[in-house]
Amino acid sequence: MNALAIEAEGLVKQYRGRTGTVDAVRGVDLSVAAGEVFGFLGPNGAGKSTTVRMLTTLLSITSGTARVAGIDVTADPDAVRRRIGVALQEAGLDPRQTGRELIELQARLFGSSPAEAAGRAEELLELVELTDAADRRIKGYSGGMKRRLDLASALVHQPEVLFLDEPTTGLDPASRLGVWDEVRRINQRGTTVFLTTQYLEEADQLCHRLAIIDDGRIVRSGTPASLKAELRARLALSSDPTLDEVFLDATGRTRERVAGEVQEVGA
Amino acid sequence: MSVLVQTELLGRRAIRESLRTPEALAPTLFIPVFFLVVNFGQAGRIFPSDSTPFLHGQTYAAFQLPSSLLLAASFGSAALYLVEDIEGGYFDKLRAAPVSRSALVLGRLIAEGAKTAVLTAALIVIALPFGVTIASGTAGLVLLLVLTSLWGMVFAGFMQLIALKTRSAAATNSGGLVFFPLLFLTPNFVPRDLLTRPMEIAATFNPVTYVMEALRSLILQDLQWDVLARGFGVVAAFGALMLFLNVRLVRRYD
Repeated sequence: MNALAIEAEGLVKQYRGRTGTVDAVRGVDLSVAAGEVFGFLGPNGAGKSTTVRMLTTLLSITSGTARVAGIDVTADPDAVRRRIGVALQEAGLDPRQTGRELIELQARLFGSSPAEAAGRAEELLELVELTDAADRRIKGYSGGMKRRLDLASALVHQPEVLFLDEPTTGLDPASRLGVWDEVRRINQRGTTVFLTTQYLEEADQLCHRLAIIDDGRIVRSGTPASLKAELRARLALSSDPTLDEVFLDATGRTRERVAGEVQEVGA
Repeated sequence: MSVLVQTELLGRRAIRESLRTPEALAPTLFIPVFFLVVNFGQAGRIFPSDSTPFLHGQTYAAFQLPSSLLLAASFGSAALYLVEDIEGGYFDKLRAAPVSRSALVLGRLIAEGAKTAVLTAALIVIALPFGVTIASGTAGLVLLLVLTSLWGMVFAGFMQLIALKTRSAAATNSGGLVFFPLLFLTPNFVPRDLLTRPMEIAATFNPVTYVMEALRSLILQDLQWDVLARGFGVVAAFGALMLFLNVRLVRRYD
């Protein structure tokens, strides 16, 4: 775990709107070692997705630098794209294609021959347990099936770094556990995983290290155990706090305030 | 992987998309046929074939057919499918892959061109019972299909610009209505030299006029190279402009 899979220094994203400039990300520094599962946590609107979109070449960087798989994101975005897999918050699927067609097309776009693409599709559909639904149109898939297919499509070229932006949002508990198993399996094969989530239990279960972002700035980073130990020591607690308590402390929120916020309700 | 292979892959996907939504094709065929039938029905007797020199011995339906062809070519749904891709996140999935930005644009446009060629052929077959023939022969028929398809790609390129800029299906749909004033500021009902002076000036500045005149020449006359050169020149110039603007917009897309 020596080489860095992701490095960012002073990453800034500003949007110019009618009411002036909005700072979405205000100078984020990150370093993720190769082979890690790295969790990126934060409340809604904290800058998680914006950071991921900059790291995956989907959004221009206002200032600062970012290197993914050792390549500068701004200088050579195409080389970065060849080394990363991306599954964004909104499962990016074409509802009119079948699962198999979608994976095969993705594999072909990454340079596979038709025979290689067909083989890879078979392999990945089996991996995410969608073989039976492979020739059905995606519009008929459930939310969990779509998430798994999206994950499979991000793996067609065996990426060095996999970005997962809230991969379990809106999923039922069983589907969520399925995605967790998948993430562990992918990571065991050597892929670095950069995972954003709002579910602290997810981060606790999956991530070797994590960073908490709030209002566009990193406010905590470390291993889940070290973050809990730091809070326990600082507040002189009698037992280890939960990651929820670390998160609330880091973001200056209270349970009462969070409970009062409008919550997204999954179907 | 070359841009051409990527374009072909994305083009095939766009064609598959169209084939799986046949209901979207129905108005694209019905409305141009409706215009052809109604315009011929209303003005066919005003312009009889044997005493109207600009018909070159054919019926008024032959004079009207280019309007219907251009209308069908400008009803493409490529931009609306693009908005769906943007809203559903699939466009980002493609942008995060090492796909040439030109292929991202061209794939859909080429599929739109192929779809327009099929619609054009269907409209020509539908027009045959109205006494329409293609006077320029087989070569003319091929040129007719090619020119209409190229126009379909140009207009789809314009619609894609609106889709990329606004990311809104409603705005993209409204943008398509721009074609109606462009269509009616052409020598749509009579040749340019029979228009009133203000309409003639407007038609002269309207690029659609030259495409329409080229299509009409292929239906009514033998190959008129000067007219064809103007028609193909317009689609080449606007095609290059649309491609340039689309690719630039995709590259700068945030």
